[in-house]
Amino acid sequence: MQDRLVQALKVHDVEYADIRIEDDLSSWIVFQGPDLDRINSFRIVGGIVRALYKGGWGYATFNDLDDLEKRVKEACETARLVGKQQTYYAPAEPVVDIIPAHLQKDFRLIPLAEKKALAEEYNRLVLGHHARIQTSSVGYSDSFKTCWYANSEGTYIQEEKPNVFVFANATAREGDIVQNSFETDGGPEGYQTVENFHAKAEKAAARAVSLLAAPSVTGGKYTVVADPLLTGVFTHEAFGHLSESDFVYENERMQELMQLGKRFGVERLNIIDDGALPGGLGTHHYDYEGVPTRKNYLIKEGILVGRLHSRETAGKMGEQPTGNARAVNFHHPPIVRMTNTYLEPGKDTFEEMIKDIKLGVLAVNAIGGQTAMEMFTFSASYGYMIRDGQVAELVRDVVLTGNVFEILLNIDRIGDKLEWQPNGPGGCGKGDQAPLRVGLGGPYVRIQNCVIGGQQ
Amino acid sequence: MILEQIIEKAMRQAQSAQAILRTAEKSDVNFENDRLKSAESSQRTQIQLNVIKDGKLGTSHTTDPNDVDGVVSRALEAVEFGSPVHFELPAAQPIPRVKTYDPALLPLAKPEMIQLGQGMMEMIKSYNPEILAGAGLGKTILKEELANSAGAVYSAEHTNFHVGAGGQLVRGTDILFAGYGLSQKKRQVDTEDIAARAIEYFRLAERTASLQSGEMPVIFTPSGLIALLLSLGLGLDGKNVFLGSSPLRDKLGELIADPSFTLLDDPLIDFGPNTSAFDDEGLPRRVTPLVENGVLSNFIYDLDTAGRAGAKPTGHGSFRQLTNLVVSPGDTPYAEMLRGIKQGLLVHEYLGLGQGNPINGEFSANLALGYKIENGEIVGRVKDVMLAGNAYHALKDIAAISQEREWVSGWMSGLFPYVQVGKLSAVAK
Repeated sequence: MQDRLVQALKVHDVEYADIRIEDDLSSWIVFQGPDLDRINSFRIVGGIVRALYKGGWGYATFNDLDDLEKRVKEACETARLVGKQQTYYAPAEPVVDIIPAHLQKDFRLIPLAEKKALAEEYNRLVLGHHARIQTSSVGYSDSFKTCWYANSEGTYIQEEKPNVFVFANATAREGDIVQNSFETDGGPEGYQTVENFHAKAEKAAARAVSLLAAPSVTGGKYTVVADPLLTGVFTHEAFGHLSESDFVYENERMQELMQLGKRFGVERLNIIDDGALPGGLGTHHYDYEGVPTRKNYLIKEGILVGRLHSRETAGKMGEQPTGNARAVNFHHPPIVRMTNTYLEPGKDTFEEMIKDIKLGVLAVNAIGGQTAMEMFTFSASYGYMIRDGQVAELVRDVVLTGNVFEILLNIDRIGDKLEWQPNGPGGCGKGDQAPLRVGLGGPYVRIQNCVIGGQQ
Repeated sequence: MILEQIIEKAMRQAQSAQAILRTAEKSDVNFENDRLKSAESSQRTQIQLNVIKDGKLGTSHTTDPNDVDGVVSRALEAVEFGSPVHFELPAAQPIPRVKTYDPALLPLAKPEMIQLGQGMMEMIKSYNPEILAGAGLGKTILKEELANSAGAVYSAEHTNFHVGAGGQLVRGTDILFAGYGLSQKKRQVDTEDIAARAIEYFRLAERTASLQSGEMPVIFTPSGLIALLLSLGLGLDGKNVFLGSSPLRDKLGELIADPSFTLLDDPLIDFGPNTSAFDDEGLPRRVTPLVENGVLSNFIYDLDTAGRAGAKPTGHGSFRQLTNLVVSPGDTPYAEMLRGIKQGLLVHEYLGLGQGNPINGEFSANLALGYKIENGEIVGRVKDVMLAGNAYHALKDIAAISQEREWVSGWMSGLFPYVQVGKLSAVAK
């Protein structure tokens, strides 16, 4: 493949060009209720050529790998149609590297019958948990993706990216009330990461049943304690997206707002994006432009100290590329994305955090979040009221919202233990690219004056 | 040809087989941050094979037309462990004649798309040069073929044209995104109208208004109606009905919405965003009334779920996807609807919709783009406001439906009016 890519790139007549090819073989086994819903196999092969000319990009994406030179020419012609200004593209050292997968237990060697039996076992645990469990969606998925990347500067990277996960969604019903609860697990390290999901599957079922009797949270302003999993989503939504430089690099107003050195949070607040973190869901050796990933401080001691870049945004802003150009697959060019983003743990214990809260909400885990830069929301899977310093009754429909320019300053307690969201089918969406695997981590944090939606 | 080969190979071991081939060519231009940023050409191939053997179903997909043996062997491997089937592959039937292909789109090349985009960009900049403008245009030409061992052979050609415009306005720490986009299967799309609509959302947000938390009347714009349709769509899904998780499961023939509310799914509208003549299960498309004068009239079934539930398949494909949704217009002019509200909200776009418990009808979402109505007039954009309610309660609490309707394309596509709901809860900061 190296020769083919290098050969094809030779026909380029622009300032810069690169090619990425992917070959992904994946399978899905999904149970719904007592029956197998589907068993699918996908082989997705294709590539993208990017060409850069006078600040304009030309892209060619394709499934058919037969004539790569034609695709390079097509991308170059398109770039020439677009480019009328000046190119900004930060330099990066050319690298040649081959990164094989390291699977402790290779899922490709496990017979389909065994994978199906595993999913079926987890499904039985969910359905058999309680008479109020109405139905389930429980499944297994694995994917083995090989990526080949080359650019016109001499970089060549070949990387294998395995992934495997299981998920259990339990649906409980009583009369007209229907409640769902979701758990996932897995990882890039191999089949062993999905073999011990029994307790989590039962936990999903138990929670769906207990949510039936839980009231919706009353809307209003609360002192909120976010659990580590929700803190991960919160850090990603509330702040992470704002640090992606493609929102900033051609926007003077945003540059003023996001000036390095500006105070964003309390002094103990540190937020980091680390694409090189061992074992992270968003970990890569190199990003999709061949730039090595690294640990980037975004907020240090409450001060904005860094941001995430592609080579283009770094070039335009005169900063260093950070290894954050990522694409969800070959149908899309890479854009600036987070990798593994986390809020660094502090010193507070959970008990210290809640003991002086008269009325508050402990918000647990996350269904998801969304941002419009300044405003954002994130949805906890469930929550508990905190009354007079004690964790009290279970509540549901806990959706939080905030404004990034205020909420980080409202964090007044930071827990002492870092946890990460487990692997699963979800991921981050930006533009039309989703789901991209990202690591989301943090400790318990306490946030003052946080708005929670709901009836009053 | 390739489909016949695949089916012939699969039938050496399977009892029936069905295959689909889709090939598409796409061309896009994209403006960002006041400038032409990129353009793209794309080529796609997609092959799907379903095989049935010993009463079980196996499926495989590939993007590689040279991988006929692979796609067949993976489907045959899967079928050994496949899910039990409750249907037979449909034989050849007459399929409806609908317009999905507009030859006028064929000669549209990138330079002309760039010109159209520039026109929209200029309109936005001349309204307010402070807006960082963006625009995108894309055309797709898609060919779809389906064949099965029961003798059905269908093919169709589709064209699609997407046009969108919008931008971002930053004032102090106030960040506003607004825009409008439309997908249709024909060339004739009024780009000036699209830019004008995007500008209108900026115009309404020129001022910000503060809101007191509380219960208030809400007007959903055609785009904003998704808050109600999202839950309704999940409730109408025959699989959720069969599995017992749909709150509508035992309500066929019952009043589930205000009698002024009528919703149907119409895949046969010429050049509609999701118009087609047959689905991916080999069934002809047809119109499905869903809610008629407030009364629940049909659920959406794929072949297998219909077989299990003793219902009829509705031609919405194996994933039971709604096509072009059509909400009947009401008798209230939109302007009059606005005039009747003393204090309330006009709701257009959300942050975090669908993350709550949508199947139960509950929604709780931040208003990414919502406006305050005071004494019959829109007085400005509201921020940091969470709107919460239950879609099923809201559907019963419809106070008025507008005469005007707009095409909305996106998450759920269709032709929707403005809908006023009696009261919903809004929490402001």
